Amino acid sequence: MIEAFRVGAASRGRPLWEGLTFAVRYGEMWVIAGPPSCGKTLLMQFLRGEKCPDSGDVVVAGESIYRGSPDHHRRFRASCGVVPESLPGEGVKTVTDLFRLSALAAAGLPAAETEGRMEALLSLVGLPGAEGWEISSLSGSERARVALAVELFRSPRYLFLDMLLEKTGKEWADKLGSLLRALAREEKTIIMMERELPDRWKGAKTPPPLSAGPFRLYRLVASSPDRKEEAGDPPSQGGSSLGLTGGRV
Amino acid sequence: MSGPSFWWIDWSLHGRAMRRETAGRFLLCFMVASYFLAMLLSGGVNRFLSEQYTMTAILRIGVPDGEGVGIAGKVALLPSVREARYRTPEDAWKEFLTTYPGLDSLRRGGKTPLPGYVEVSLRPERMSEKGIADVMSALEPLAQVEKILSGGDVMPGLLRLKHRANIVLWSGFGLVCLVFLVILAMQEKASAARLLPDVSFLADRGTPGERIGARRAVGAFITGGGIVLLAAASSFAFLYFASAGFPFVRIVLGRAQELVDGRFAVPVCLFLLSAAIFQGLASLVGWRAAFPKGR
Repeated sequence: MIEAFRVGAASRGRPLWEGLTFAVRYGEMWVIAGPPSCGKTLLMQFLRGEKCPDSGDVVVAGESIYRGSPDHHRRFRASCGVVPESLPGEGVKTVTDLFRLSALAAAGLPAAETEGRMEALLSLVGLPGAEGWEISSLSGSERARVALAVELFRSPRYLFLDMLLEKTGKEWADKLGSLLRALAREEKTIIMMERELPDRWKGAKTPPPLSAGPFRLYRLVASSPDRKEEAGDPPSQGGSSLGLTGGRV
Repeated sequence: MSGPSFWWIDWSLHGRAMRRETAGRFLLCFMVASYFLAMLLSGGVNRFLSEQYTMTAILRIGVPDGEGVGIAGKVALLPSVREARYRTPEDAWKEFLTTYPGLDSLRRGGKTPLPGYVEVSLRPERMSEKGIADVMSALEPLAQVEKILSGGDVMPGLLRLKHRANIVLWSGFGLVCLVFLVILAMQEKASAARLLPDVSFLADRGTPGERIGARRAVGAFITGGGIVLLAAASSFAFLYFASAGFPFVRIVLGRAQELVDGRFAVPVCLFLLSAAIFQGLASLVGWRAAFPKGR
């Protein structure tokens, strides 16, 4: 579980928001919506352990990621996948290179497994056969989908997606919605930062958003009521209907 | 996709650039290894001097050839001596006539007026006052030896000059090594800087940068060891063919085959090991330069 306790942020000497408190449980999918420049990316950085909040704390599995042990912080970061606002593409040439980099981060994927997995993931995001494509030749939408596939490659327990739907385009909202919900049902925790919740995602079953500071927090997939959280924040294990588990998370 | 490992992260992500760098590094290693092997083989100017310089023990007239051969054999066993050859009075007469033709009349009654002599060449590494003194002290007590020609007063000055020339040549080697290290460090810094976005990606996903840097250094040590081994083998082949084809090279450097002698094993192994270690260290230095602590 990721818990934000009275988290506050300041920018250019004045507070952006303060006192933000919420908790994201395992297997939940949240969309945190907010207007431009309200600090969505900043909040994501706080929740990921990338940047210490100006006030408050973020706790994962009962231990602060900022005041706890460096090893806890490192393990949490290793179990996270992130599609950032500025997408990767610098330094590497092809899509395969990006997967190679992700495999390095996973440090332990069997070579035989990686090929098949890369193909499956690229097909899943509508880019079959894109392995050899140059990153510079990809459109913004393709880049975002490749970045998502690259993160899913390591099967992270927590997935942070910054403006993914904005980049992939409305056409992909349904497909990605289904994919992400399926992942959440497999106990992946998904946190998305978007300007708005897509209309198509607003169903009758969607609970009304929580308001916190400038944000509206939508919990699209709730954790199973009978799911018991384990004390030590263990890594996810076992098979997956999407075939996306495995590796180091 | 090959099995990923931080040891080979540069190769796995920037293979083409690494191939270029490796080719350049091989050339650098080849130059350094050639310099080192040439110095090892020649001992600087020692080889050239030992090829040019001989000590001569002139025997008394009437010393039988058997004794002359025996003296040469015993002298050849001295540690400083590379070769000792006995020249009979007849050989000496022929050499005299070659140098001063038309003086046949000096020979009377069929007997040569010249004595036999023993020509002694020193080992290149023993070309020193001590090496010469060792041979002198072995020959001087012998009753059969009339006179020893060892260069006299000129030798100490010549040996001092040799010593200085060797210092200059070894300093040159040190300079080449220094340039090699500077280029290595620059190359490694550029390699590490090239990895910046990749390392940022990995660090963002919980991989400590220090771990990547340390493992890259291990990879650089192994790759560097392989490159320098290959470069040294190529240098050996180069020296082998050069010494076989050009007598001048043979005189100045010696025969490359001598490098397989056991006495060169330790310095060659140390050279290979140091070159590999330096490449590993250069990788760490380059990493630290590209990613200062805390970055």
